Amino acid sequence: MTRLRLAFLSIVGISALALSAQAWAASGSPTELIRAGIDRARSVLDNPAYQGTDKRQQRLEKVKESVISIFDSQEIAKRTLGVYWKDRTEAEQKEFIEIFTALVEKTYASSLDRYRKDFQVVFDQERIEGNDAEVDSRIINPTQQKTFSLNYRLHQVNGKWLIYDVVIENVSLVRNYRNQFYRILGKKSYTDLVETIRTKIQQLDTAPQTGTGL
Amino acid sequence: MVVQLLFALCLGLLSSGFSVSTALAQPAPADSVPEPTPDPLEGFNQPVFQLNLKLDQYVLRPIATGYDAVMPDAVQRGVQRFLRNLGVVERFANNLFQGKFPRAGQEVGRFLVNTTLGGVGFVDVADPLFGWKESPEDFGQTLAVYGVDSGPYLVLPFYGPSTVRDTVGLVADSAMNPMNYFLSTIQLLAVRGGTTVVGAVNYRSLNPELFEDVDRYSVDLYGAVQDGYLQRRAKQIEE
Repeated sequence: MTRLRLAFLSIVGISALALSAQAWAASGSPTELIRAGIDRARSVLDNPAYQGTDKRQQRLEKVKESVISIFDSQEIAKRTLGVYWKDRTEAEQKEFIEIFTALVEKTYASSLDRYRKDFQVVFDQERIEGNDAEVDSRIINPTQQKTFSLNYRLHQVNGKWLIYDVVIENVSLVRNYRNQFYRILGKKSYTDLVETIRTKIQQLDTAPQTGTGL
Repeated sequence: MVVQLLFALCLGLLSSGFSVSTALAQPAPADSVPEPTPDPLEGFNQPVFQLNLKLDQYVLRPIATGYDAVMPDAVQRGVQRFLRNLGVVERFANNLFQGKFPRAGQEVGRFLVNTTLGGVGFVDVADPLFGWKESPEDFGQTLAVYGVDSGPYLVLPFYGPSTVRDTVGLVADSAMNPMNYFLSTIQLLAVRGGTTVVGAVNYRSLNPELFEDVDRYSVDLYGAVQDGYLQRRAKQIEE
């Protein structure tokens, strides 16, 4: 075989490999990923074995298990601290990811209590630009005739799409928490912020079905 | 007279040179936003915010709960549509000012169709019949389109979160209401006050979890409401 032919075949071979790897990585489109996650969560919520207030904790655990893999918890927590992230030690960062994830879980647990089987999820659009993607969807509550928009922002990490922000009715979760945290950090210390978050988690634990202050 | 005074005050505040940008369509990269939303009027805003929370807790919510118990949901939605229908003048005018002519026309169409065929606005027939959707535009958005800066975040008693520009807008839209010109001041106060109160009670009873939700979902309630309002407003102006 001439050198040229060998070179040519190598190039073709390598390109074929690269393309198939690319295809493999992209076969789970962001929308499909989210749709699959929602389906998993719904199968837990619709399962008669997990119905009722006595099964609430179990139910929530199962739902968390089924969707945690599509969220980039570290990135979400990191973004809510914004410029304050890099000043924290590794241990503090790890702690923050933990407590922030717990905060969001407990906060949104009550939304899951409002879930009804007839809720519809409609995917409207998907936009991909390099390593970033946005998926627009709507949740429709037919009984109360209410609809709200739920948009996801994702990025690719090691070939996998992960959610790093959720925009509910045009309000980005990350930005909203960041504004709150910045306000607290502007007036108090980081330890105070951690303290505040821990207190909130406790409050949510003891009064899961209702608001905490009003 | 009060209207003119408020208007002058707001214009004064605006022109004194505050400049706060509220248009953030993209999530800012994690490292680039150094501060929370500037809030120079926080000394005024915080007490008003607390007042509004108390007003909601002790006045609006109890009334809305009672109202909710007697009014069927379907009727409540009808009342909301009826009141929205009355807002045609400001929507028409502001769509016009922003050059959105087809939408301005649709607003007129919607009003005529819904008032006649839709039981004085209780039912929205214009959308299913002709596909004419409501185009909610207000004078605050018009000012934004014309490049007027938002001015600082401002919490209004009863009305809630706003900005200086949007407050000017609120006052301007008020002045555009044709009722201003053929009702006496007392009658005007009664009618405007009445529709505002009914509107507020009705809206509150359609959304019973409103404040419970924001309270649950936030570590710093004031900051959460402020940011939520500004993000949604920026999106409204964009559209």
